[in-house]
Order: sequence, then structure tokens, then C-alpha cells
Amino acid sequence: MKRKAFWGIFLFVISAILLVGCSGGTSTGETTDNGQKETDKTTDNGQVDKTLTIAVGSDMVSFDIHNHNNTSTEAVHVNMFNYLFKKDASGNIINELVEEYEIIDDLTVEMKLREGVTFHNGDPLTSEDVKFTLERVAKDDKLKEYPNYKQIKEVQVIDELTFRVVTHAPEPSLFHRLSRLGSGILPKNYIEANGFDHFLANPIGTGPYQFKEWVRDDHITLVPFENYYNGKVEEWDEVVFRVIPENSTRVSELLTGGVDIAVNIPPADWDRVNSNEGTAIVQEVSNRVIMLIMRATEGLPTADVRVRQALDYAIDDGTLADIVLKGGAVPTKTMVGPGNFGDNPDLYNTFNYDVEKAKALLAEAGYADGFEMTLQAPRGRYLQDAEVAEMIAGMLAAVNVKVNVEFLEWSNFVEMRNANENKEAYLLGLGNSMFDGAYSVDWYRAERMAGHTDYKNDRIEELLAASASNMNPEEREKQIQEISAIAAEEVPFIKLYQEKINIGVSDKIDFAPTSDEMINAASIKRK
Amino acid sequence: MGKYLIRRLLQVIPVLFIISFVVFCLVFVAGDPVALMLPEDASQEDIEQLRESLGLNEPFHIQYFTYMVGLVQLDFGDSFRYNQSALPIVLERLPATLELAAAAMIIAIIIAIPFGIWSATKKNSPVDFLATGGSVLWKAMPNFWLGIMLILLFSVTLGWFPVSGRGTLSHLVLPAITLGTGIAAEMTRLIRSSMLEILNQDYIRTAKSKGIRNFFVVNKHAFRNALIPVVTITALQTSTLVGGTLVTETVFSWPGLGQLLIQAVNTRDMAIVQASVFVIAFIVILMNLLADILYKILDPRIKY
Amino acid sequence: MSVNSQTQNQNQSVTSTVEKKQAPNAFVRWMRLLFKSKTGTFGFIIVLAVILVAIFAKFLAPYDPNMINPAAMLKPPVWVEGGSAEHILGTDNLGRDMLSRIIYGSQISLLVGLSAVALAGVIGVFVGLVAGYYGGFVDNVLMRLVDSFLAIPTILFALVILSIFGPSVTTLIVVLGITNWVQYARLVRGEVLSIKEREFVKAAKSIGVRDNKIILKHLLPNVISPFIVISTLSVATTIILEASLSFLGLGIQPPTISWGGILSDGRDYIATSWWLATFPGLAITITVLAIIFLGDWLRDVLDPRSTN
Repeated sequence: MKRKAFWGIFLFVISAILLVGCSGGTSTGETTDNGQKETDKTTDNGQVDKTLTIAVGSDMVSFDIHNHNNTSTEAVHVNMFNYLFKKDASGNIINELVEEYEIIDDLTVEMKLREGVTFHNGDPLTSEDVKFTLERVAKDDKLKEYPNYKQIKEVQVIDELTFRVVTHAPEPSLFHRLSRLGSGILPKNYIEANGFDHFLANPIGTGPYQFKEWVRDDHITLVPFENYYNGKVEEWDEVVFRVIPENSTRVSELLTGGVDIAVNIPPADWDRVNSNEGTAIVQEVSNRVIMLIMRATEGLPTADVRVRQALDYAIDDGTLADIVLKGGAVPTKTMVGPGNFGDNPDLYNTFNYDVEKAKALLAEAGYADGFEMTLQAPRGRYLQDAEVAEMIAGMLAAVNVKVNVEFLEWSNFVEMRNANENKEAYLLGLGNSMFDGAYSVDWYRAERMAGHTDYKNDRIEELLAASASNMNPEEREKQIQEISAIAAEEVPFIKLYQEKINIGVSDKIDFAPTSDEMINAASIKRK
Repeated sequence: MGKYLIRRLLQVIPVLFIISFVVFCLVFVAGDPVALMLPEDASQEDIEQLRESLGLNEPFHIQYFTYMVGLVQLDFGDSFRYNQSALPIVLERLPATLELAAAAMIIAIIIAIPFGIWSATKKNSPVDFLATGGSVLWKAMPNFWLGIMLILLFSVTLGWFPVSGRGTLSHLVLPAITLGTGIAAEMTRLIRSSMLEILNQDYIRTAKSKGIRNFFVVNKHAFRNALIPVVTITALQTSTLVGGTLVTETVFSWPGLGQLLIQAVNTRDMAIVQASVFVIAFIVILMNLLADILYKILDPRIKY
Repeated sequence: MSVNSQTQNQNQSVTSTVEKKQAPNAFVRWMRLLFKSKTGTFGFIIVLAVILVAIFAKFLAPYDPNMINPAAMLKPPVWVEGGSAEHILGTDNLGRDMLSRIIYGSQISLLVGLSAVALAGVIGVFVGLVAGYYGGFVDNVLMRLVDSFLAIPTILFALVILSIFGPSVTTLIVVLGITNWVQYARLVRGEVLSIKEREFVKAAKSIGVRDNKIILKHLLPNVISPFIVISTLSVATTIILEASLSFLGLGIQPPTISWGGILSDGRDYIATSWWLATFPGLAITITVLAIIFLGDWLRDVLDPRSTN
């Protein structure tokens, strides 16, 4: 008997596997029945199970808010910590922990904290906590966020709730810096009494959710904070971030109702998620621009501005965005997209594509017969990055430019960039967590790019110098816009498109992703 | 026995030493992780600053000395990614991996022993052909492919098991099958051949000729002797098994050592890589040692 | 197919020569042994076919395997609705012809498999001979080295090295070479230990025959059979390993085509466009299956101790 049963199972599994292989396309429709069992969020006594489960692609790095530079880590942190300022849905900077502020002079801002804010352990939030937090990241050069906060010279405590932030030099982006990754406020007394390691294991902040447990590479569980200054969040009794690195597994979890939200769904599965009953894809344009960093070093064909323009005209950003990424991107000619300070709407949602013009420009530059170049690209780092790189190679072949695509594993890719071993072009996606265009256009600075792209434009240099510590926002905005316009004309980088965030969401909840890629559980509602 | 044990234990020391040296060289050649630690837009000055403060500008022998001093105290340095000592992080992940590996091994043994014996007793029958063919088929299928297929079939379509994660026993089933069947294939083949060898030996033939029922013969005599190589095989599969967890854990997001390692490799978190390679090597060595000892206990004829 | 019938003809002629009680030549004898085993025959035919496909890929592939065609993306195989005879096995997400990719993929799988085995064999045989023949301290040191390599899972070692040096065909071959030599070293050493105590070796030594001559004339020929068997299985393991490394992102990078790479890239499409992953998966599975069967048969034939 046993033997027969064994064989039964064995043959069944093999045939089943072959079957799935052959009928995979149709199998998804049947999932809902089984999925329902697990998604049925009511317990026996009729109470709604208020657990929100979110599948993320990689685990958070640490609870040291200053020592990671990782958007997905920050996406968890925003639920536990508050910033002094935050950005609203349309990108305006508004007060969060700060009640009111006054700009004293170019170097000093006086701020007053909201009253009645407490940490998860009951300690009140004071100016001392702000001083401790900001000076930690501004002075410890071992911290990964140090470069983004080192502009701060000191924090002067005036009284319990009032303090002054003093910068080394006029810092027009100060508010942008204080409302982004790493801007949470840490509990000074708690850390000094128990040590930082204790804090890392038992982190507390002032946010709407507090820490319950973290099993590395498995899940992080948060529960609502009773005494949140804005009132306890009643929507979810528990928020669980589950780590599921493999795309197909993450999608399967969403389809079977194992999770309510799954981030980074590959384009291949969008139709599947949408046609599945109970799940849908939601999208939002991220602040990440995908582009080709061109090397303008003397002697290379790409040193000639006409060649760079020709390549720009030869690449059909529309096909990349609409076909390769299935609409998961918006073509662009600038690094400074909407929602950023200094954005230039004329350069967004548009692209150059004209094969004849490209050929003419190449002929003018003396490359009528084309040339050979290398395009370096990472794989699996950005949405469809490998496919995009190969497609670009195909497009450039149409103007007789032979592109050798060289794929590099991410750590090798970073090393390549770091050692300035970049060839004619490489594919890079640049995010801007500051939402300040100055941060993006600094990439054109000749000194910064020496030995890397060797691009230099005197007018851009002038504008960069002028805007760096320009405390007049109108003037500074114009300067950044002009830099973007010059860059769109001279093409030091060929901007391709701005990537969209693609998130699979269960129909039972209401979730709208934001361009900063944060997952703010307090704003996610049940339907 | 005691003398043998001491000799085997002494042999472990140079092996661990060689492994530690190889691992250090790899890390040294790997260069510095600094660029990966900073944001994509970090400037050259920021990178240089971090390098210096992490002591990555020291020459080979100084770094090796620092490393060895740490090693004898079981200190592999701090993980760049977690900003914590590496070894505790690795050890924290070990139970999950051991759980998966043990479950996979049990599945492998459950499949392999009956199939191995059965196909050996019915040599060249269709049963034998199917068992050997089937076991080779499992071996020939890449693990991740099998895993993804199992999820699609048993979780998405049939809804029998959870898709991924660790927790209940049902979470363990699919990853254990994915990992275990490959091992089972190898074991089935080896058990079959060792059974065949035993079945051909004189005492079994004698027993058979005396008219003892076939089933009894197989159980009583052959099986006990076939068990001996199974012990060795099981131990020797440890390395394959641990290697297999790298892939299986990623497919099923199993929070074990395998996933930790892959992320450490991807982010060049070399303290974690060192610590995990060392821990894995130690387990493999331990298992092999155990197998040798068990082998000796099970088969007193073997002299050392 | 023509190969098959040809060998069968030869097979028939064999039987007649045997009947005449003349000693058949080696090739004929082998063929006779081969066709006695069904699995061996299967393995042999598939392996031969894969080798021929790899060699003549250029002539067999209907398209350039890297040619992108935005107009024909994700076309299903010919026998599925929506498929066309233009792309018999369909196209991938960039409109590249699956059949051509599978055909070209065989080249890398075989190249990596065979080169890695050759490299591992050279290192392993050398170390094994030296350790076994000289014994003592040298043996001890080398065997501890072997133990060290055995203690680190191959895939882990490969992962770390490939991540450091970047995944390329050469790196992959070298990595697999320096991890796989261990089994050859153990095998050869064991063989040498048992042989060197025999009278004829002792005699040769006593009359002053040089060491290297003894090694070449008496030891090497004895290890060739098990060597071939292990090598065959090694090629199979290598193909699977390459696929696993591709899954982990450190396999052979495009534009170089490998089966593991196609399979791994196709996994996001398993549920929506099954042919992207199924065909490379089948190619790997069938080839590995064939190689293992061939290896089993070779073991049965070459190793007199396992006549079962």
C-alpha cells in the first residue's frame, strides 16, 4: 500500500509540475478561492483582524537612522520616528515636530517644538533630543548620512522646546535636508542611559507606531503607539513588513492573500495581478531618473557634443517607457522632475527622437559610418534595466553605432564607477531624497566629475557657484532651471525616463504610493 | 578509538587555519566596501574619509595580523551593514537554516531508503528504472526552478501550503521538499548500489538459498549493512545541503544563513561572509568527523 | 538521427564478427556495450546531439540569438494559439528567438562544463599523484588542503569569488576548476596508495627507474577509468551550478548566452509566458539527465568492481 501511495505522489508531482509549466497562464484565475481562505480577515468571534502585511524586497538595514542610505529602510523608520519637517503630497515642506520657526539670519534658524510630544517610553521630546540627534549625524564622519548633514555646525538649546540650528555656511537646502532620510529625532536620555546598542535592539521614537520585533530577513512588526501626539492610530493593530526578495514569490504571496501590499512587482506580472480578483497594481512616479552617463573625455567620440546629441536623438525613450517598461516610466530630459525644487516642466514628459537628425549629426561630427562604443549597465537594480540596455544597443545599431553592452553585478558596478573605469556610457538611476534640484545638478560640476565624465561647461560652473549658497529662493530656482536647460542641450547625460513605483495592493485596503517611496502605515486605510 | 579520535581532532586545526587564510585573502582581494556603503551620489572625499577611518588603508600583513588576533577570540569584526559584531548575527540565523536542512534531510532519507532498497531488490525491473530515472530527474532540475514551480502549484493554484516565510510546520514543507529531493536523488542512487553489493555477497546468497523469505533477508541482513554507507553519505551531503540553502532560502524567503550570506556577498559585507564561511566549514567538518566515528561504531571490522 | 542508424549498422556488423570469434576492435566492442544499456544509449545520443548542436550552432540557429525585435515580443511557441512557424519555440520579452537562444546556450554550458573539468582534473591528478606517491609530510599538507576545500560548499565559494572578480566565463571556469579538483585528488591519491605497494612498482623502484617514469607508466593508466566517470558527472553538476549562480545574479552575463541565464531571466515569466523558462529548464534537465546516464554506463563498463 505504502509503495503505491509513494508512487502516486511521485508521479503526481512530476506531472503537476509539467502541467503548471504548460498552463501557467491560465492558472491564476483560480487562485482567488484558495486565496480567500487566508485573506478572510475575520476571526471566529466576528472581529476584524487588523493586521497590515507588507511584502518588501529587502530587509531593513538597521535602526540607526543615520547609518543607512537605504530608501526601503527609511520606509519602515517613518512609521516610528518623526522629522522636524515633512513634505506633503504635493512636495511642499510643512511642519511636523516643529510648531513654528523663524529665520534669524543666513546661518541661523530658530525653531520651536510642538508641545506634548512624547517618545514611546513616555519621555517628553525636548530641544536636547534635537541637539543630540542632529549633532550626532553632523559631526560623526563614520555615519553614512554624515555627508548630507555635515552642513550643520551646531544646535543651540534656548529652552525646553526652543532651539537654533546653525550652519557653517548659508544653506538654502536646510529644510530639504531636515525632511528626508535620517531626519528622525532620537531619544537622548534613553540612549545615554542604556547605550546605543540597547537602542538598536529596542528602538523608540515619537512616531505613530512603535517597535515590537524584528527577525532579520523575515519580518518587522510594529504596533500603534497609545500616546501618539496626533492621536493613536486605530486603523491597524499590527503592521508587519515581510521580507521576500524573490519577485515571483512576492507576487505569489500577494495573489494568495498572504500579504496586503507587495512592492516592486515586475512588469511581466502586472496583468496577472490586475486580472486576479482582489488585487491590483498601483503606480506613482518615483524621484528616480534613469540615464546614460556619457564620458566626454578628449579622444572619445562622445566628447563631441554632436555625437551625444545624435545618440540622444537615436534612442526612442517612448518605446523604452511604453513597451519595455509597459508604461512604468515617464520620458524626461531633466534630472529635476516635478515635485523637486527648481524643476523645469518644459523638460519633463518629453524626449528627443529623430533617427534622420541623429544620422545627420553623426555625419557632421565625422562619424557618418558610425563607431563602436561600450555601454555598462547593472542588472536587476532598476526596473527592467538589462532589457533597457539591450534595447538601447538595438536602437543605436540603427544609426550605425555598434554598442557592446557590458553587464556588471552591482558591487562590481559600484567599483567600476568608483575607480573611474567607466567607458563611453553607463546606465545609472539617480534618486533624490532631498527633492531639491541643486542636489541633482551638482552632478554636472566639473571638479566632481573630473576623471569620470570630464564634462565641463563654464556657464554651468558659474550657475552652480552662484546657487550653492543663494538664500533667495526665486533666484536659486531660476539658476537650477537654467542648468537643467543647458544640460538638456549639451547632453552630458542622456536622460531616459523617470521610473514609476509599482506596488501590488489588495482590494481590501486603500493605499496610494508616494514619490518618496515611503510606506506610511498611518495613511493606509481599510476599505 | 581514542587515539584515532585525537588524531582526527588534531587534523581539524590546520584545516581551520587554511580556511581562515583563504577567507582572509578573498576579503583582502575583494577590496573595500566603502563605495557600496555610501549613497550613489557620495563624493570622492567622502569615500576617502570613510576608508581611512575604517583602517582599510593598512598593508596586507597588518590587516592579516589584526584579523587573526580577532579570529582566535572568535571576533570577525563588525558587519558594515548591520553595524554589529558579525558572529552573533550569523549564529542568530543558524537555527533557521539547521531546521530547514534537517527537514530536508529527513525528507531525503524517507524517500531514499525505501526507494534505494526497493530498486535494488527489484533490479532491472520497471520499478528500478523509474526509481533511478526519477531520482536522476530530480537531480537534473535546478533547485530554484523546482521551488518556483512548487509554489505555483501547491500554494497559488491549490492553496495547500503558504507561499513563503518561516513559522508553522506547513511553512517548512515546500522548502524542505525543494532542498531535500535533490539530496534524496543522490542518496537513492548510493543506497541502491551499496544494497546491490551486499545482496551479491555470499551470506545473503546463502540465506536466500536456505529458503528464507526474500523480504526477511533483505530486512534483517542487508538493510543493516546498507545503513552504514547511508551514514557516510548523509554526512558528506552536509556541504551540498548547506550550499543548497543559498538558493532555497532565497526562493522561499526563509530567514536563514543562506539569505544572510547572499546579501552579505552582494553588499560586500565581508565580516559576515567570513563569519558564515567559517561557521559553515566548521559544521561540515564536524559532520564528517561524526560520520567517521559513527562509521567505526556501526562497522567494527573497520580498523584505523 | 543519421548518427544513430550508422552506429546501429556498425552494431550489426559487430555481432557477425563476434560470431566468427574474431576479436572485435575497441570501437565496435564499446558500441556493443553501449547498446546493451537503454539508459546508456539514451545518454549517449543526447550528449552527442548537444555536442553537435553546440558545434554547428551557427548553421542551426534560425536567427541571431541576440537580435531584438520589438514587433515580436513574447510570441508563444508554434503549437500554441498565437504562435507562428517563424519562431518555433516562441520569443522572449525582447522579441529574441527562443530556439536560437537555446541552441547558442548549449555552447557555453558545454564550454564551461568541459573546461572546468579539464582544469580540475589537471590540478587534482597532479596533487593526488604527488600526495600519494611521496606520502608523509607532503601528503599530510596536501590532504589538509583537500579537507579545507571540501568543507566550503562549492556554490558558496563560487559566489564569493564571482562577486569579487565579476562574473565572466573565464572566472567561472577557474572557480569551478579550483573547487572541483579535490575529488580527483582524493581519487588519484587513493589509487596511488594501493598501487605503489604492489610488487611491480617496488621492483621498478629497486632497479632505479625514475619516479616520474613510474608515475606515468604504472600509476596514471590505473586512474583513467574512475577519472572519466567522475568527470562526466562533474560536467552535469557544473551545468546545474551555473544555473543556480545565474539565479543568484552571478552567473554568466548577457550578451553571452547560457541556459542557466535564460532560465533565470525567464523566471519572472513562469506564470505568464511559460515558454521563457520551460525550454531552457528542459534543455538543462534533459542534458544533465543524459550526462548522468552516460556516466552511470561508463562506470559500469569501466569499473570492474561495480559490475552490478
